[in-house]
Amino acid sequence: MKNIVLACSAGMSTSLLVAKMEEIASETEMEVQIWAVAQDKITQEMEKADVLLIGPQMRFLKKKLSKAASEWNVPIDVIDPIAYGRIDGEAVLNKALELLNENS
Amino acid sequence: MNGKFMEMLENFLLPIADKLNNNRYLSALRDGFMVALPLIIFGSIFVVIANFPFLDSMISEEAYKAYQNALGPASAATLSIMGLFVIVGIGYKLTEHYEGEAIYGGVVALAAFLILTPQVLEGVSGVIPTASLGAQGMFLGIFTAFISAELYRFFVQKDWTIKMPAGVPGAVSKSFSALIPITLTLSIFLIVRILFSYTNFETVQNFIYTIIQQPLTELGSGLPATIVAVLLIQVFWFFGLHGQIIVNSVFDPIWYALNDQNLSAFQAGTELPNIVTKQFVDSFLVGMGGSGMTLAVIILIFLIGRSRQLKELGKLGAPAGVFNVNEPIIFGLPIIMNPLIIIPWLVAPVVVTIITYFAMSTGLVPPPAGVIVPWTTPVILNGFLATGNAWQGGVLQAVNLVIVIAIWWPFLKIMDKSYYEKETKVKKS
Repeated sequence: MKNIVLACSAGMSTSLLVAKMEEIASETEMEVQIWAVAQDKITQEMEKADVLLIGPQMRFLKKKLSKAASEWNVPIDVIDPIAYGRIDGEAVLNKALELLNENS
Repeated sequence: MNGKFMEMLENFLLPIADKLNNNRYLSALRDGFMVALPLIIFGSIFVVIANFPFLDSMISEEAYKAYQNALGPASAATLSIMGLFVIVGIGYKLTEHYEGEAIYGGVVALAAFLILTPQVLEGVSGVIPTASLGAQGMFLGIFTAFISAELYRFFVQKDWTIKMPAGVPGAVSKSFSALIPITLTLSIFLIVRILFSYTNFETVQNFIYTIIQQPLTELGSGLPATIVAVLLIQVFWFFGLHGQIIVNSVFDPIWYALNDQNLSAFQAGTELPNIVTKQFVDSFLVGMGGSGMTLAVIILIFLIGRSRQLKELGKLGAPAGVFNVNEPIIFGLPIIMNPLIIIPWLVAPVVVTIITYFAMSTGLVPPPAGVIVPWTTPVILNGFLATGNAWQGGVLQAVNLVIVIAIWWPFLKIMDKSYYEKETKVKKS
């Protein structure tokens, strides 16, 4: 089971994306757990995450989070704005898996 | 717009966003308000219930008073003294940042603030005026929390311990580990309090209030400063950066202080002193229907949209948009970096700011009552609650929505047309 964590300001808009990603994951019977967090909770969730994706509107957090993420060996990236706007669960899920594979 | 110029702006804005968001004091401040928020909203709910519309004309005056008195403590213990929770939150978060024992950082900040707070009211000593714990003490509380957390960290790092004779269990000497830093930190605040009692200001609270808080809130309560804040939020969003998160960390202390002043007046039944408040900005300006008032854009798509791309986007964005979540529109329309959109994107919020301000200053619509409405509350209900259950507040939001739709109309029409033409071209070929 792989844990994918998405983060934005309040965890609201990323939770839209989570629902779409879960749909795709269950269609393909992928063993993943996906959830959204608010920005002030990100560091606490880092421990449980296998990969962390940040909403593009919070991309200025990447620098700060990268430090903590490397300590936990969690790959981190900013979600592509176009995929974010379209709530394209498939594209974001693929991105997450790609990061996971690179890291393993 | 020139691509190079956009790139330059982005390169200029991103470091600012980075600095503002990652500054340890500003992030502790923002997180401190986040800690207080559930309590603030709890209190707000009971202010709304206590002032239920038409209730005062339905039951006897006596029964209405008893009803209000019964519910009063809910907001008196939370919303009215919100400064306390913010202070604990800041002290906690800042100490956590330094990887110290966060809970001590929180309580030290609280104690330091209470030491600096007046403990006398109209000649009666041994009391703490609740006004000092809310709006009036907001700035002092924030500064105190910053300084006390820094002092506490400093003394912890100095690691001055009391040497115990051999044979005393380790746990005993450890129990003193928090004692020395706390004692030193709070002693400093006590000295400051005593020193200030010899000045004309009498209390530190009075000093900070007169020298810093009053001038700043006066500036922040004006229309020009509000327009600047609104424009900044919009510009950050235009580059796909979360405008409120960035700008609010600077403006929140001012807006919350103004908000609390209105709440006291609302509960006392006197004239509301401020128009610009936290809820003025959140409910009526940039927060209405999602950042940049994009609910209007969704409605407009349903009204005039012909292209498949926009129609799809409208369907995708509508359910979230009703609850003021709008990232699908921001990134999907897209609004970010879209030169066509920059005119309505910047003009509409400013027009709405001016209209809302004058609707309230002329008395057409009552100013925000000081309650904090959860930001996901749908438009119209949101404005109704924010103005202390006034129907005019809901109507004003509806009017604002129509204005934003009107301003966006020609621009979205152009966009829709070009999308539509592209789609039909693809089909033909």
